Amino acid sequence: MAAFDYAPAIVLLPFLSFLVSVGVAVSGRDLLPKGGALPGIAATAGSFLLSVWMFLTVSGGQYYDETIYTWAAVEGSFELTFGLLIDPLSAMMLVIVTLIATLVHVFSLGYMNDDGQTGLPRYYAGLGLFTASMLGFVVADNLLMAFMFFELVGLCSYLLIGFWFREAGPPSAAKKAFLVTRFGDYFFLIGVVAVFATFGTSQFAGAEAFPVLAEEVLLGEASANTFGFAPQTWFTIVGLLVLGGVVGKSAQFPLHTWLPDAMEGPTPVSALIHAATMVAAGVYLVARMYGFYALTPTTLAIIAFIGGFTALFAATMGVVKREIKQVLAYSTISQYGYMMLALGSGGYIAATFHLMTHAFFKALLFLGAGSVIIAMHHNEDMWDMGNLKEKMPVTYATFLAGSLALAGIFPFSGFWSKDEVLYEALVHGLGGLGGGEAEGALLLGAWAMGLLAVFFTGFYTFRMVFLTFHGESRSDTARNPHGVGWNVKGPLAVLGVLAVVAGFVNMVPVAKLTGAEIEFLHKWLEHGPAGLTSEHYTELTHEFAHYTAGTLAGGELGTALISGGVSLALALAGVGLAHVLYNVPEPTEHTDKLGGIKTLLYNNYYQDEYQVWLATGLTLPVSRAADKFDQGVVDGVVNGVSSVSLFSGSRVKQLQTGVVSNYAMLLTLGLTVLLVVFGLLGGWF
Amino acid sequence: MIVEALIAFTFAAALVTFVAPNKVAGKLAFGLSLVPILGSLFMWSQFDATGNALLGGSLAFEESFAWLTLAGYELSWHTGVDGISMPLVVLTTVLTSLAIVSAWTPIDSRQSQFYGLFLFMEANLLGVFTALDFFMWFVFWEAVLIPMYLLVGVWGGPRRKYAAIKFFVYTNIASLVMFIGFMALVFGLGDSITSLGLPEIAQALRAGELGGFGALDADTLRLVAFVAMFVGFGVKVPIVPLHTWLPDAHVEAPTPASVMLAGVLLKMGTYALLRFNFTMLPETATALAIPIAAIAALSVIYGAMLALAQQDLKRIVAYSSVSSMGYVILGLIAYTVYGVGGATFQMIAHGLISGLMFMAVGVIYNTTHTRMVGDMSGMADRMPITTGIFIAGAFGYMGLPLMAGFAGEFFIFVGSFGSQALPYAPVFTSIAMFGIVIVAGYLLLAMQRTLFGSFRLETDYEVGRAPRHDTLALATLLVLVIALGVAPDTFFSMITDAVTPILETGGGL
Repeated sequence: MAAFDYAPAIVLLPFLSFLVSVGVAVSGRDLLPKGGALPGIAATAGSFLLSVWMFLTVSGGQYYDETIYTWAAVEGSFELTFGLLIDPLSAMMLVIVTLIATLVHVFSLGYMNDDGQTGLPRYYAGLGLFTASMLGFVVADNLLMAFMFFELVGLCSYLLIGFWFREAGPPSAAKKAFLVTRFGDYFFLIGVVAVFATFGTSQFAGAEAFPVLAEEVLLGEASANTFGFAPQTWFTIVGLLVLGGVVGKSAQFPLHTWLPDAMEGPTPVSALIHAATMVAAGVYLVARMYGFYALTPTTLAIIAFIGGFTALFAATMGVVKREIKQVLAYSTISQYGYMMLALGSGGYIAATFHLMTHAFFKALLFLGAGSVIIAMHHNEDMWDMGNLKEKMPVTYATFLAGSLALAGIFPFSGFWSKDEVLYEALVHGLGGLGGGEAEGALLLGAWAMGLLAVFFTGFYTFRMVFLTFHGESRSDTARNPHGVGWNVKGPLAVLGVLAVVAGFVNMVPVAKLTGAEIEFLHKWLEHGPAGLTSEHYTELTHEFAHYTAGTLAGGELGTALISGGVSLALALAGVGLAHVLYNVPEPTEHTDKLGGIKTLLYNNYYQDEYQVWLATGLTLPVSRAADKFDQGVVDGVVNGVSSVSLFSGSRVKQLQTGVVSNYAMLLTLGLTVLLVVFGLLGGWF
Repeated sequence: MIVEALIAFTFAAALVTFVAPNKVAGKLAFGLSLVPILGSLFMWSQFDATGNALLGGSLAFEESFAWLTLAGYELSWHTGVDGISMPLVVLTTVLTSLAIVSAWTPIDSRQSQFYGLFLFMEANLLGVFTALDFFMWFVFWEAVLIPMYLLVGVWGGPRRKYAAIKFFVYTNIASLVMFIGFMALVFGLGDSITSLGLPEIAQALRAGELGGFGALDADTLRLVAFVAMFVGFGVKVPIVPLHTWLPDAHVEAPTPASVMLAGVLLKMGTYALLRFNFTMLPETATALAIPIAAIAALSVIYGAMLALAQQDLKRIVAYSSVSSMGYVILGLIAYTVYGVGGATFQMIAHGLISGLMFMAVGVIYNTTHTRMVGDMSGMADRMPITTGIFIAGAFGYMGLPLMAGFAGEFFIFVGSFGSQALPYAPVFTSIAMFGIVIVAGYLLLAMQRTLFGSFRLETDYEVGRAPRHDTLALATLLVLVIALGVAPDTFFSMITDAVTPILETGGGL
């Protein structure tokens, strides 16, 4: 068990780098070279190595689930604790998060450490705390601890998105990010409280874990306080409450609006937020407590539908954006939609798989975009770019790899994972429909939206690639871009390789075709502590949500091939359309032909408008009315009563012009009178 | 004797400061106020009480002398500390010292009187939290008002006289109402009690020895007394709709007085509610659970909505106190160990956090001479460290995990959600919890407008970093807030130990 003794260090190392950077920031002096980047790199690299060690230990069949700290304990009631849970899921996530955090730290050397950039210690402090919070969330062994680190992740996003606080945009975007996710977390917190009130524990693993207890309650083997609801109904409500936090953090409809604004933050931060930390946290949480969600078919269907809808909805908006980071922002929302679709469809492995491949290729794309933005002297408008492939071959090659993965083109990583997501949705939708379950139709609808989104994804991704790197340079900066150094190219190269090969760990269609046992991720997630394995989840979805696999034609293999073929064809069609329209020397804004639809898409279906209206058009006026009511009516009554019954008006005036000694006398007098009156009443004298 | 020594020393310190020269009064008062801190920390280290002070628990540092007999009731000097009062004693001593430091910069006239009153107030506060005899408790309770009244009325802002009078009259009438209610109970108990000792009264009431009084039968008397005391203490808390004295008092009060007002004086109200209403009359409280929970939820949401409408930073923090105190009421009425324990914990947490926020606003005000949100922007550029602490404090107020506020709020929520004593507990809890969204709204909005953006302020003064002593005072509070958030059990275990006996004949665990 020696390896696991070091597990807390994975979280503590980045936290230490946060403390060091805060110390430097407070001192106000330039105590560390590179503004404090090096402690951060050392800490995250250390965490990465430890995570790899955990990964290897877990692959040896050892798991870890220990309570390490009692936060609050009450005799006769439940304890609130912190603990570590290291199983295949969290070990894998640890490696992903620490790897990307390390690369982002290295990349920041090139991106942030420009001449004259102030506040670098503050920046690295934020990155350190961000990484530590996310890692704390990943290893959390109970829902309360997960919530706590989930919130800290939100704080860090606030600090980092608002890093350039002297401008108007970033503080506003930071506020929005925190507020919108806080709205989701409100429901999450009710969910946490409800889990405690229902089960008396919020542990994820073990015989007394709340998903296990919930299962026993449904089977009639145990009882719990379900607040007068049928257990199934109550668990659905609790699941949906927790889902509120997931929808907020993972930027799912309708709480996705903070994410595009969050592009105001430094680009490396965007990479970290979108690929490995904050946005991933939501989806990871569903995977973490999948044993609970798998019990309630309604929740699963809602997750799938939100996911499918968000995937399509966000992809359509990505089509018309001008700025490179905006396109990536909408693609993030869309891709997390796929993961939700998978989770809702019973595709626990597919979701985890896509979470992993997406982490690599999206981090790559953001860092690639960062490289482009350095080259373009911080101009992000793609219409000012063009022909950058000549000037920045490394960035181009890696960005292209990431784009092919994002678009889901064979054999890049995104193809395999997205394919599995759609396959899971399809077969379980068909199975549900075949079995006469209402949820089956919902799943199929979600699947159809996800499938359609593939076309848009291919299109917007390659519209971005062609506008940025192909054609002719459309501005002076694009003709003479700023060079980028090793600290930019290095992380790009690492992620570029991963974006190409990460999919090979789980080539399900090939495995089905050849019979070779190469679904390594399936194998990986099949083992684990009791109750946390993919096999157990499959049983649960089958037993409680009645998920069964249906097929189109040719059995499982045929369905897998048809599904993969169709989605690949759609992706290629999208890429092809982008090629025809935009891979020309002087592209024009073809999306203008969409007319009103473009305006609608460009304005994000006016989602922001109604949410801003809810805040400033509704809540603020109501609060002002409340204030007026408070001053006029509530306080007015008080003042009225006091001036009528206590003193006459003129007396009050006299009182108010008096001197302090008068008041003191009045006070003493008042107290004496009070005591005398009661002395008399009580017959003391 | 340590409690007596502590109180006596603080009175003496007040006297010494009162006659000291103005120039040295601030430093002197701070130096003297360190002794009560050490005293309270010593008490904490030696703390060995178990159970509840009023319900036959074994007390720490208990002293009792018969004093005189009045109309058949024995009045005595009776002090003692249990798990509920111990944290409040520590809070009082720590916050007083830090508030004194925060007065060094803004208070520039009649310093010796200012600091003398400050220490006088501390001594009385210590009395309130340790007294176990009604008579002496009531004297301390009333005596706290006098220094606060003068601090607001003499050193306050432009409308200080109005605010001070309003504060005094309002809270004094409230005391009167409470006094009537309590004395009615005493008379209703008749011969079953022989003293005004709070433990004796509490145990007699819980043993059901209340008879009728005058035309009122026991049940009606209980109800009337409960309502009278609830209203009387509720003014101090304050609960909606009895809160309107608070923003006026805060806005006009000098920063250090605001720190004490929000940090400790409001807790007198919640402490008294817990000791009197919820400990002595649990059946009445649970019978009134729905209206009380409604008031709690109303206080949270309405207070937060009012905070959202304000432009004055101090008013924002003042109204948010109304909101936070609503959580305390919710925790109390839950009658679960997490609920009542969390409410008590929240008193400490809110004391530290609101103290921190008022102090931070004060430090900014010392430099800018305005507190209006629209008058300044980009303060982070000029006062980076103060801003950093401000942001941290604001997140503490929003209930960021691993800070004290989250611990208090979470205990309350988890305690009230499954409460058996409160019908529709999940509904009331969920409504009150929405406060965590609104609080984020108004604090983030205020921070965005004042701290961020390009620096803008019309002023003739030099706008630079805060003096070191202010920064240190703020940092100390911030460290305490985080420490208590990371390790709430330092206080929470003793609190729950003292709270548990209250629940035994109440709504159950």
